[in-house]
Amino acid sequence: MILFCQSLVNGLLLGGIYAACSAGFALAFGVMGVVNLSHGDFVMLGAFITYWLFVLAGMDPFLTLPFTLLFLFIIGFFMQKLAINRLVGSPPIMSYLLTFGLHLVIANLALRTWTADFRTVQTSYSGLTIIFAGLVLPYSRLATFALAMIVIGGLYLLLYRTETGRAIRATAQDREMAQLMGIKIFKIYTLTFALAAAITGLAGSLISSTFVIHPQMGLPFTITAFCVVVLGGMGYVPGTLWGGIILGVVESLATTYLTAGISLSLTFFLLLLMLIFRPGGILGKGIVE
Amino acid sequence: MIGSRPRLEGILFFLLTLGVILLILPFIGLEGYRLRFFSLIFMWVALAGCWNLMSGYTGHIDFGPVAYFGVGSYCTALLMIKGGFPFFLSVFLSGVVCAALSLAIGLSTLRLQGAYFAIATFAAAEALKQIFLEGDRVIGMEFFGGAHGLTLPPPLPGIFFYYIMLFFMALVVGLTAVIQRSKFGYGLRAIREAEQAAELSGVPTLRIKVYAYILSSSLIGCIGGVEAYWLTYIIPDDVFNVMRTIQMVIMTLLGGMGTILGPVIGASFLTLISEFLGARFVYDYLIFVGMVIVVVILLMPQGIMGALGKKKRRVSV
Repeated sequence: MILFCQSLVNGLLLGGIYAACSAGFALAFGVMGVVNLSHGDFVMLGAFITYWLFVLAGMDPFLTLPFTLLFLFIIGFFMQKLAINRLVGSPPIMSYLLTFGLHLVIANLALRTWTADFRTVQTSYSGLTIIFAGLVLPYSRLATFALAMIVIGGLYLLLYRTETGRAIRATAQDREMAQLMGIKIFKIYTLTFALAAAITGLAGSLISSTFVIHPQMGLPFTITAFCVVVLGGMGYVPGTLWGGIILGVVESLATTYLTAGISLSLTFFLLLLMLIFRPGGILGKGIVE
Repeated sequence: MIGSRPRLEGILFFLLTLGVILLILPFIGLEGYRLRFFSLIFMWVALAGCWNLMSGYTGHIDFGPVAYFGVGSYCTALLMIKGGFPFFLSVFLSGVVCAALSLAIGLSTLRLQGAYFAIATFAAAEALKQIFLEGDRVIGMEFFGGAHGLTLPPPLPGIFFYYIMLFFMALVVGLTAVIQRSKFGYGLRAIREAEQAAELSGVPTLRIKVYAYILSSSLIGCIGGVEAYWLTYIIPDDVFNVMRTIQMVIMTLLGGMGTILGPVIGASFLTLISEFLGARFVYDYLIFVGMVIVVVILLMPQGIMGALGKKKRRVSV
């Protein structure tokens, strides 16, 4: 019983992290219909920024967050302005290929610069745990989870409580109508993508103290984001929280009771079933074509 | 469509001449590295052609054709090693297995549209890869070889694979030409242009999409089986590598989707380029490939889109 509860809690903590890593993907898809295959590389870049600031400047991983946010915002801004904005209105396959090309460039440039070494961020509190009712809660995972929740909450508030958020949602619902209402849609697109990149990079910074960092870590996160977003409902940003938690719990339980490798194929099987039987996501609020 | 008949004849004449030249090339001095390189081009033309048959004609972007390549490779390998079957029979049976598998996957996923179909097929391919990678640990015995993969019996000389790959290329290109003119082919293109309208005019859309999917998948499975015997060593990370999917897609896009010659031109061009870059810049090669993709898509989207371009213009009018 304690084993079951422990893996459930592990799954929840993992799920929160997954949700934070995938919210940006949901945002870009929901607003622009862009399936961003270079999404995971933002996670990788965020993790590396934290790693280098930690190693070279001796900064605490949590203090590096503003730098990551700013840097990834700039990267996302230029990627959208120079490349992805040109594809608005063309068949979706063009955006898959463009973003995959960007993934190849980013991931392999990172591999050239930083080599394929596995790196970790070891802080003074890395191994500390809290024991609560017999359950082991690693301190850094708990803090990461809490911050991930704050990131998602902040994004939700931005989208649903501010004027800019309203403009973003209007553009997502009907591009032409939003344009007629005086919204500069290319500006909104650029802002949205930069925002998506920034929060994804932030999630990357957050996981740097619990995950292994290397240049090829991006693609698996893109795939995770696929699953999370489909589970939560494509394009429905708050749904990523549900999607992430379901995925985290399923993976954690499968790792405990089956093997670690098979949990991945279980994830994909879940994704496939979801797409076939409930394409609107677990809450049914996603966009269904 | 009125002008398409004589043009099709011209293309067929060109392809037949090319085929005859390629048939006699090994007798007039093609050997060693060049022979292998030509076989590689044939394989990629055939693979891109298979993808084009399904996705190029119907407009449903299949992002997981590598699933059948991998399953075909493993089927052939397992049948030859564990079952002691002869090579040709193994390849044929791999095609049958892939046909059955694609029927199951196709029937469920082909109801989905756009990005949903692409993601679903991608997920199916990744799930199958994980099964081959981890299957051994779950069933608790040595069967798929896990991450170490499988080693096949020693292969025949390169010329044998040259002719087999040539055969598959000719088969795929020929099939595309036949389908292009058939009622089946018109049905597929009708789906690409306007699926609902096609359904209303009496095209059994789901059924012919599934047929095209099975045809394309079983051929990809056969080619995967041939490559397994050619390389004699397979691992899940290589035969299920997502790069193979991307390559099929980009080759077809470069040449033109939904055309007979598109995959032939695109695959030959891209294989040449990657061989050149791969030999010269071993470490930076993938960076260049990425840049080529980005530049091509940003600077000449109309040029490479072929049939897709026409569709876009019509919608925007």
